[in-house]
Amino acid sequence: MSRYVVGRIGQALLVLWAAFTLSFILLQAMPGDAVLIKFLNPEFGLSADQIREIRAAYAIDSGLLVQYANTFANFLQGDFGYSMQAGVPVSAQLATNLPPTLKLAGLGFLAATILAVFIAFLSTMAPFAWLKNLIQSLPSLFISVPVFWLAIMLIQIFSFRLKLVSVINPGPWESVVLPVATLAVPIAAPLAQILIRNIDEIRTRPFVPVARAKGASEIGILWRHVARNAILPVLTIAGVLFGELLAGAVVTETVFGLNGIGGLTEKAVSNQDLSVLQAVVVISAAAFVTINLAVDLAYPLLDPRLRTRNGATA
Amino acid sequence: MTPYRKILALSLGLLAATALPALTRAADAPVKGGTLVYLEQQAHTNLYSPAGGFYPNGGILNQITDKLTYQNPKTLEIEPWLAESWQINENATEYTFKLRSGITFSDGTPVDAAVIAKNFDTYGLGDKALKKPISEVVNNYERSEVIDPLTVKFYFKKPSPGFLQGTSVIGSGIVSLSTLALPFEQLGDATKIIGSGPFVVAAETIGKTLDLKVREDYKWGPAKLEHQGRAYLDEIKYIVTGEDSVRIGALLAGQADFIRQIQAYDEGQVEAQSFTIYAPGTRGMNNSIAFRPDNPLLADVKVRKALSLAVNRDEIISTIFSKNYPKATSVLASTAIGYVPQTDKLEFDLEKAEALLDEAGFKAGSDGIREKDGQKLVLTAYASLPQPQSQAVLQLIAQQWSKIGVKFNVLAGDAGSKVVDELDPLKTPIAVAMVGRADPDVVKSLYYPTLRNQLLQQGGTSDKVKTFSDAKLNAILDEIASQPDREKRLKAVADAQAYVLDQAYAVPIFEEPQAFAGAPYVKGIAFEAVGRPSFYSTWLDK
Repeated sequence: MSRYVVGRIGQALLVLWAAFTLSFILLQAMPGDAVLIKFLNPEFGLSADQIREIRAAYAIDSGLLVQYANTFANFLQGDFGYSMQAGVPVSAQLATNLPPTLKLAGLGFLAATILAVFIAFLSTMAPFAWLKNLIQSLPSLFISVPVFWLAIMLIQIFSFRLKLVSVINPGPWESVVLPVATLAVPIAAPLAQILIRNIDEIRTRPFVPVARAKGASEIGILWRHVARNAILPVLTIAGVLFGELLAGAVVTETVFGLNGIGGLTEKAVSNQDLSVLQAVVVISAAAFVTINLAVDLAYPLLDPRLRTRNGATA
Repeated sequence: MTPYRKILALSLGLLAATALPALTRAADAPVKGGTLVYLEQQAHTNLYSPAGGFYPNGGILNQITDKLTYQNPKTLEIEPWLAESWQINENATEYTFKLRSGITFSDGTPVDAAVIAKNFDTYGLGDKALKKPISEVVNNYERSEVIDPLTVKFYFKKPSPGFLQGTSVIGSGIVSLSTLALPFEQLGDATKIIGSGPFVVAAETIGKTLDLKVREDYKWGPAKLEHQGRAYLDEIKYIVTGEDSVRIGALLAGQADFIRQIQAYDEGQVEAQSFTIYAPGTRGMNNSIAFRPDNPLLADVKVRKALSLAVNRDEIISTIFSKNYPKATSVLASTAIGYVPQTDKLEFDLEKAEALLDEAGFKAGSDGIREKDGQKLVLTAYASLPQPQSQAVLQLIAQQWSKIGVKFNVLAGDAGSKVVDELDPLKTPIAVAMVGRADPDVVKSLYYPTLRNQLLQQGGTSDKVKTFSDAKLNAILDEIASQPDREKRLKAVADAQAYVLDQAYAVPIFEEPQAFAGAPYVKGIAFEAVGRPSFYSTWLDK
């Protein structure tokens, strides 16, 4: 078991290094750079000589390998450099932007899971075929609603018309309700779809009639027997959905004017703010790797069959 | 009277007419206190004063820093502020400023001749060790001299008649020695910017919110302003809200008091609810498209003239904009210093345009696009993100040009390749141009090869320019920036306007305003000469 864990962590680090290196190469390959974008901006009105001097000061034209080695060494020490556009250290930007995104993503994922489970159970328990069909088509609707439109509609209705929550200067709860709802809808859709399909499939397995014959209630069967078996593929997809969360966060953060990694990335991309992008890529990769590691390690806890097999190899 | 003031006067008049009977106290007695919630479209970037041209930066720096002089936004005259008086020698190479006494920065240190000298040494010469660039508004700077604690003198290598106005702009905001000692890359943190202005940065969440608090002991506002002493507001809360509909909705729903950037198509719903639109002009070079004659397609003045004749300004303004966007009548705004109308050079005449293209040898090909020696008349430009509706304007021009057999490709302004491509006249034969500054130097800024170089002459940042250079134009531009005699200088400004349009180097389209909207109870909003808000005299009538 411990060797398995060490191996997986080693793999994770390798993935991180690869993500760093690839993103470094790709970012360097882009035409132009942050210094050019920042200082060629006519707001500055700098002359060619002045721009050349600034470029020299930032060592932007030194060799690729030198830059790579410098950046890598700095990253290892936790120094992400300065944001060319914002004029602050990247670590300060991360410190202000990471926690709100984690909060938004965490709550959004939680809300999405609750919503997905609710839909799945509702569709299983639905008494009429037409109602079941209706509920089962909800995920398709959810996934086709553009996040951008949904966010603006929620704001227009709940904030500007009904004046229930304030978007500007919100309190701690006001600031999360609508964004979390916006984020939860598209994430809940694939979760609910997979859950519904799994539940339907597992309900045809022989152990279900056996449980029913032993006198278990429908809810009991669903909760204790079917759901436990249906959850594994959902867990797998959950790791993948994290990417969706980040993408959704870009739109949600922009519309609601929240600070977060999504908005930071969007700004960094349009300004080719390489140090910010590099840090965001590495942090996203770290998050992906951690979540997938956690999912892998959680399988045996949820499914005894996997536990014995792992136990045998460890 | 500029249009925005007309609107302002009208709406204030209406307000007064409806509100007066109900009010018993004096109608215009400002009330102290309260917080102004200000919604910005974009987060501020680096707050090095010379970077104050960027509107989100200027909107903050204008509240927290003072300037040596004050440019009256109505008369454009230069009036005292931190400097009580000044002397300029005959050929504008020596400027002596006498400072007002008793001024302090918000950290308690005094504003004296030494710190003013250090400010302009930085803006005029840059600071290589701290990576700070030279300011656009300080030309030919040589050195400073502290004569006594309240007298400072500046020397210039060549006549620099624009310097006095240069001391009044946001880009010359005075900051403390501690701020000057910081390297460039740390100036994005607003809490580190120590000025002597009427407001002080109290707290900031970078990229999201910024809180300003009033300075109780402030008593050195521009001497000729009616309002003296501390600002009326207690606090200003800047909140970055990028989404247009959210900013406007929040304003109308009472969640915000004042917002920046409102598109022409949204003006109606704001005014319908008796909120106020403020659209101060930017008094510089108009929003225009500039041609790059280095590109062989545009080397012939006849082709450039034809393209200019085929642009229908009236259609652009009536389709995309509103009354707050006046039609351009020169490359300079009609409210700018030295403006001379050039309407005879800015006609719309499709027949003449086609005749000129025929003359230049561009004949319609099988696909309707004109060509000469196998070269099709296909042009390209990137939209400009800071300019209002830039993409829509260019697309409409593309439609208009298609009528004379010219194909015009419009590329998105957020493309990663934009910055590099815009240096290459073959890739971008056309560029969107605009600069705001209430001094004739602005003409030089836009076209001079070592400055913004909009026409892409040789000698600028670009190494892609093969031959194009216009010595005559550059001589006029040099004259504008270094002629100490006011009359001769204005003559050069007039010459530049006529010459640029005679050569059809640019097609001015409209006078670009900065559009803001405010709640009816927000009073005393003022704008500096180039349209950045000043909240010093703002108060809330609620």
